[in-house]
Amino acid sequence: MSTFFAQYAWLVPVFPFAAFAILTAMGKGMSKTGAWIGTIATFASLVLSLCIATERLSGNAEDYSNQFTWIEIGNLKLHAGFEVTNLSTMMLVVVTLVGFLVNLYSQGYMKKDERISTFFAYVALFTSSMLALVLSDNLLTFYIFWELVGVCSFLLVGFWYQKPEARAAAKKAFIVTRIGDLGLLIALLLLFWYMPGHALDFTTIHNVFDSQGGGAISTGITTLIALLIFLGAVGKSGQFPLHVWLPDAMEGPTPISALIHAATMVAAGVFLVARTFDIFDASQVAMTTVAIVGAFTAIFAATIGLAQNDIKRILAYSTVSQLGYMMLALGVGSVTGAMFHLLTHAFFKALLFLGAGSVIHSVHTQDIREMGGLGGKMKITAWTFGIGALALSGIPPFSGFWSKDAILTAALDKQPILFVVGIIAAFFTALYMARLFFLVFVGKQREGQHAKESPSVMTIPLIVLAILATVAGFVETPFNGWFGHWLTGGDAEHHASGLVMVVSAAVGLLGLYIGWLMYVKGTIRRDAVSSRMPGLVTVLERKYYIDELYQWLFVKPLQGFGKALELFDEYVVDGIVRLSGYSVSALGRLNSRLQNGQVQTYALTAIIGIVILIVAIAGRRFW
Amino acid sequence: MSMLSSYLTLAAVLFCIGLFGVLTKRNAIIVLLSIELMLNAVNLNLIAFSKYGVNPSIAGHIFSLFTITVAAAEAAVGIAVLIVLYRSRATVNVDEFDELRR
Amino acid sequence: MLDNLPVLSLIAFTPLIGALIVLLLPGARSNWLRATAIIFTLIPLVLVLLLFAVYEPATGGGVYTEHSTWLTIPLNKEVLDMKLQGGVASFNLAFDYHLAVDGISMPLLLLTGIVSTMSVLASVHIRKRWKTYYVLFLLLLTGIYGVFLARDLILFFIFFEVTLIPMFFLIGIWGYYGREKAATRFLLYNGLGSAAMLISFLILIVTLGFSVSEGSNFLYSANYDVLLGNLSDPNALANIDTGNSRYFGFFLSDNARWGAFVLLLIAFGIKVPIFPFHTWMLRVHTEAPPAIVMIHSGILLKMGVYGLIRFAAFLFPEQLQSWTTVLAVLGVINILYGAILACVQREFKLVLAYSSISHMGIVLLGIASLEEVGLQGAIYQSVSHGLISALLFLIVGSIYERTNSTNLSDLGGLAKAVPFMSGILLIAGLASLGLPGLSGFVGEFLSFLGLFGSMKILTAIGVLGILFAAVYVLRSILSITYGPLPERFAEMKDARFIEALPMITLAALIVLLGVYPSILTDLMQNGFNGLLEQIQTRMGG
Repeated sequence: MSTFFAQYAWLVPVFPFAAFAILTAMGKGMSKTGAWIGTIATFASLVLSLCIATERLSGNAEDYSNQFTWIEIGNLKLHAGFEVTNLSTMMLVVVTLVGFLVNLYSQGYMKKDERISTFFAYVALFTSSMLALVLSDNLLTFYIFWELVGVCSFLLVGFWYQKPEARAAAKKAFIVTRIGDLGLLIALLLLFWYMPGHALDFTTIHNVFDSQGGGAISTGITTLIALLIFLGAVGKSGQFPLHVWLPDAMEGPTPISALIHAATMVAAGVFLVARTFDIFDASQVAMTTVAIVGAFTAIFAATIGLAQNDIKRILAYSTVSQLGYMMLALGVGSVTGAMFHLLTHAFFKALLFLGAGSVIHSVHTQDIREMGGLGGKMKITAWTFGIGALALSGIPPFSGFWSKDAILTAALDKQPILFVVGIIAAFFTALYMARLFFLVFVGKQREGQHAKESPSVMTIPLIVLAILATVAGFVETPFNGWFGHWLTGGDAEHHASGLVMVVSAAVGLLGLYIGWLMYVKGTIRRDAVSSRMPGLVTVLERKYYIDELYQWLFVKPLQGFGKALELFDEYVVDGIVRLSGYSVSALGRLNSRLQNGQVQTYALTAIIGIVILIVAIAGRRFW
Repeated sequence: MSMLSSYLTLAAVLFCIGLFGVLTKRNAIIVLLSIELMLNAVNLNLIAFSKYGVNPSIAGHIFSLFTITVAAAEAAVGIAVLIVLYRSRATVNVDEFDELRR
Repeated sequence: MLDNLPVLSLIAFTPLIGALIVLLLPGARSNWLRATAIIFTLIPLVLVLLLFAVYEPATGGGVYTEHSTWLTIPLNKEVLDMKLQGGVASFNLAFDYHLAVDGISMPLLLLTGIVSTMSVLASVHIRKRWKTYYVLFLLLLTGIYGVFLARDLILFFIFFEVTLIPMFFLIGIWGYYGREKAATRFLLYNGLGSAAMLISFLILIVTLGFSVSEGSNFLYSANYDVLLGNLSDPNALANIDTGNSRYFGFFLSDNARWGAFVLLLIAFGIKVPIFPFHTWMLRVHTEAPPAIVMIHSGILLKMGVYGLIRFAAFLFPEQLQSWTTVLAVLGVINILYGAILACVQREFKLVLAYSSISHMGIVLLGIASLEEVGLQGAIYQSVSHGLISALLFLIVGSIYERTNSTNLSDLGGLAKAVPFMSGILLIAGLASLGLPGLSGFVGEFLSFLGLFGSMKILTAIGVLGILFAAVYVLRSILSITYGPLPERFAEMKDARFIEALPMITLAALIVLLGVYPSILTDLMQNGFNGLLEQIQTRMGG
C-alpha cells in the first residue's frame, strides 16, 4: 500500500501553525478575517488527515516515519521526527475534525469578543501542537508538544484574563499538570539512560519492552518508568488525585472546553499510555495501578457530578469520569477499548460542551437551577444535546454504549470488582446526565429569559457531531471487530458478552428513568437524598473537600516553609554576613584604642615587636 | 675581635640608655637628647665595623658622617618644632602632644 | 576578512575607545553621548557576529589567537642560582597578552554582545549624569569582553577587576533608594572573591606556571595554555613530587591543589552565586537600575560560570571529579532554595533575583555531571538565562517607569493597558519556567540529562525545581498582567519603539534558541574535549 500522503503528514500541524503565525503577526487588525484564517487552516489539516486516513483504512499500510537530528552533542543525538501509524492517524482525524468544528462554532460563539483574533491564534497554536504531539515519533518530541498543549490550555483557560477566577484557574491548570509533566520528564531521563543506544523513539521502546524476556531493563526500573509516565498522564488527563484543575478550567470559553478539556488534550494522557503501552505491559504493578486509578476516578468523579449545579462543571466531572474509564481500559490491557472510548467520547463530549455553550450563549448563565424548558425554544440544541446525553449514558445504539461495553467486557475478563465499579459509575453517569438534561431542557420556562436558537454556524457543528456520536460506535461492536484489528494489528479478539451488554444498557436506562422520575415526573422528590443525608450531599457539592485538603496539605505548608526560609535567608545567611562585618569593625574599634597619640607608646610597641621578632628568629637557631 | 666586642658593648649600652630616655622621659628636650644618644651609638657601631669588621672598608666612615649630618639637621628641625610648640602650648611635656590621635 | 585584523583585541578594546570619546564629548548633549555609546556597543557586537560566522567548531578559534609577551619581570637570578647550585641563564616572571576564543567562550561572547546592546538601548531610562554613565558602561563592557577572551591569569584577573569598579559606581549612583548599601555589598563580596582568586592564581603561577626551557631559561608564566600544558605533562615539575630535592618549591602537592581548587570555587561561586554567597546579588537585583541589572544578571553572573569551567574544571579535573556530589548538592540547594523563596516574594525584582539563583543551580548541576551533555547544557543554560533575565529586567524597567512600582500587590491587569509588553513578559516568563520551544528548556534539559547519568536521585530532586518555577513565574506574572486593571493604570502607554526593539529581539532569540539549539551546541562541539580527555585519562590511569 502506498504511503503517499503519510510522507506529508508533517504538513498537518504546519497549517494551523502558519495560521497562528499570521494571526500573531497581524495583531488586532483583522478580527473577522482572523477567525476565518484559523478555520480554513484547520480545515486544510482536516482534509490532509482524511487523505492519510483513507490511504491507511485498508489496513496493511506500513507505518511511515521520518526524523532528523535536533541536537547533537558528542556522540549523543537527540532526534525530532514524526511517525504515521494507525493510532496516530485516528488521533489526527479526531483532533482535526473536532478542531475544525470548534473553530466553526467559535465564529458564532466568540463573535462579540474584541480579542477574537487572539482567540483564534491560540486555538490554532493549540491545534498545531496537539497534532504535532500526536505525530511525534519519539518521547522527547512528544514531551515538547505535550508541554506546548499545556501552555495553550493555560492561555485559553485564562483567556478572559480580567476575571480573577480565570486567572486562578489558568494558574492551577498549568501548575497541577506540571506535577504530571515532572513525572514524564523524569521518566524520559530514565529511559534515555537505560534504553540501549539512548533511543527514545516509540518503535525502539516497543521493541525493547515487547520482548520482555530481553532483560535489557530490570522490572523495578520498568515499573518506575511506567509509573512516572502514568503520573504525566494522570496530570494531563485529570485523573485522581490530580483531577482538580480540570473542573476549574471551565473558566475558559466553552468551545475551548469542548476542544481541549473534553476531546483532545485531556485525552493525550490516554494516548500517551497507549503509545507507550509496552512499558506498562511489562510491569504488572503499573497495570494494576492504572486500572485502579482509572476505576476509582471514574466512580469518584461521577459522584461529584451528581451534586454540581454549573452545567459546564457537571460535564467537566463527567469528562474526568470518562477518562477514568479509558484508563481502566488500559489498565486491564485493552488498548482498543481505551482508544475506542477516546474516539466516541471525543465526539459526544465535544457535542455536549458545544450544546452547553449554545445554551449559555442564549441564556447567559451556567447554573442549571436557573434554566428550564429550553427544549421548546432551542430545538436543535436540545435534540443534539439529548443524543449526546444518551451516548454518554451508554444507551444502545449510540456510540457510547459500544465503547463502554468494550471496556466493561475487558474489565470483567480481568477483574470482576473493576467491572462492578464501572457499572456503578455508569449508573451515576446516566443519572447526572438525566438530571442535567431534564433540568435544562424540560419543565417550565423561566420568566425573563429570552432564549433563542443559536445561529447556524453554531448549530451545524452540533448536528455533525450528533451524527458522529450516533454512528461512531459501529466501527467496533461485539459483532464487528474491525476497529480493534485496524488499530492494534492484532486479531479481532472480540468476544461478545451478552451479560455485559444487558447489564450496562440496563443501568443506563435505570439511571435515566430515576432521573426522569425525580426531575420530570416528581414521583421521587428531588430532595429525597439531600433531606435524609445532608452531610453526603454537602461533601459531594464540595467535591470531597479535595481542594481544601490540598490547600492545607501542600499550599499552606509550602507557603509557611517559604516564609520560614525567607527568615532564614534574612537572619541566618545574611545575619552571618552582617555578623562577620560587625566583628571586623568591632575588632578595629578595639585596636584603635592602641592609637592614643603618644609617640612614645607607639615606639614602645614597635620595640616590643622587634624584640619578639629577634627572640623568635634567634631562638629558632637554638631550637 | 675583643676590640670589636667592647665597642659594640659600649654602643649597645649607649643605645639602651637612649632608648630608655626616649620611652620614659616626658620632657621633649630630653627625648631629643636621647635620640642623639641612640644615633651616636649607631655611629659607634658603624665605625667599629669599618675598622674591625669582616671586610674593613671606608663605607662605615662615610655612613657615620652621613648620620652626623642628618642628626644635626634633625636636631635643628626638632628644636625648632619644639620652640613653636612651646610658644603655642607653653609646655614641652610630650604627654600633652597627642594631636595625632585626633 | 577577519584574518588580518586583531579581531579579539578590537572586540575587547573598542568599548574602551568609545569611553574615551564619550569623555571628550560635552556632557549636556545626551543624544550625542547615547549615540556614541550605542555605536561603540554595536561595533563589538558586529565583530562578534562576524567571528561567529567564520568560526569553525572543528578547528576551534585558534586562528584568531593573539599572543604576545606583555610584561617580563626579571627575578633575582642569584638566589635561584644559589639554590640550584648554578646553571641558571635567566629567571623571569612573564605575563602574556594572550587572547583566544573557543567553544566555551564563543557562546558567552555572543551573549555579551547581544545583551550589552539591548542594555545600552534600555539605558534610555537613565535620567542623570549621562556622560559618566556611558563612560562607566563602556568600561564595564571592555572588562566583560576581556574576561571571556583573556588566556593569561593576570590578564584575566585585571579584566575581572575592571568589571567591578564601573559596576560599583553604576549601582551606587544610578540605583534606587538602597543603592549605596547594595554597591558596597557588591564590592565587598566580589572583592573577597577576587582576593581568593588572586591567591589561587599566584599559587598556580609559581607552581604550574613554572617551566625550564632550553638553555636553562627559568620562567614563571601566567599563561593559561602553559599552565594547562604543564598540568597534563607528567614531566612538568609541578607534577613530580621530588621530596626535598632542589626542585621542591615547584611541586603542586595534592593539598595545594585542593586549596587552590577550593579558593577558585569560592571566588567564582560568589559570582555565580552559589548558596550561601547569594545575598549580595539580591540587593543588586533590587537596587541597581534595570539596564545594569540586565548586564549583571545577564552576563556578569555567567563570568562566574565561565571561571568555574575554565579554571576550576579544566585545571583541577581530579578535584572536581571527587567533588561532583558536593557540587551537585550545592546545585540542588540553589535550585530549590531559590525557587521556594521566589514563591513567597512580594517584590517582582526579588522574585527574579531568587529565580536567578535557582537557574544558576541548574548550571551547577550541568557542570557537576562532567559529561559533555551536561557541560554544554551548563553553558546553554547560562546563555539562555542571560537572554531571559535580560528580557525580564528590560520589561521591569519599562513597567517601573510607568507605574513607579514593581511590587506585585500594586500591579495588576496590565495585559489590558499594555498588551504588547504583557505578551513579551509572558513569553519571558514561560521561557524562564522551562517551556519547550523556548531556550530555557534546552539548557535545563541538557543539564538534567547530563547529571542524570551519574546521580539519579539528586537530579530527580533538582527537577522538582521546574515545578516551583511554574509556581513563582505564574504567580508573579499573572498578578502583574492578569486580573482587573486598576483605574490609575488606564492611561498607560505601551512600549515605545526604542523599548520594543530590544524586547522583540530578545524574545526572538529566545525562541530561536529553543527551536534550533544546534546554533549553540555546534559551536561548543569541541570546547570540552580537553577536559573530557583529561578526565578519561585519569580514569584510565
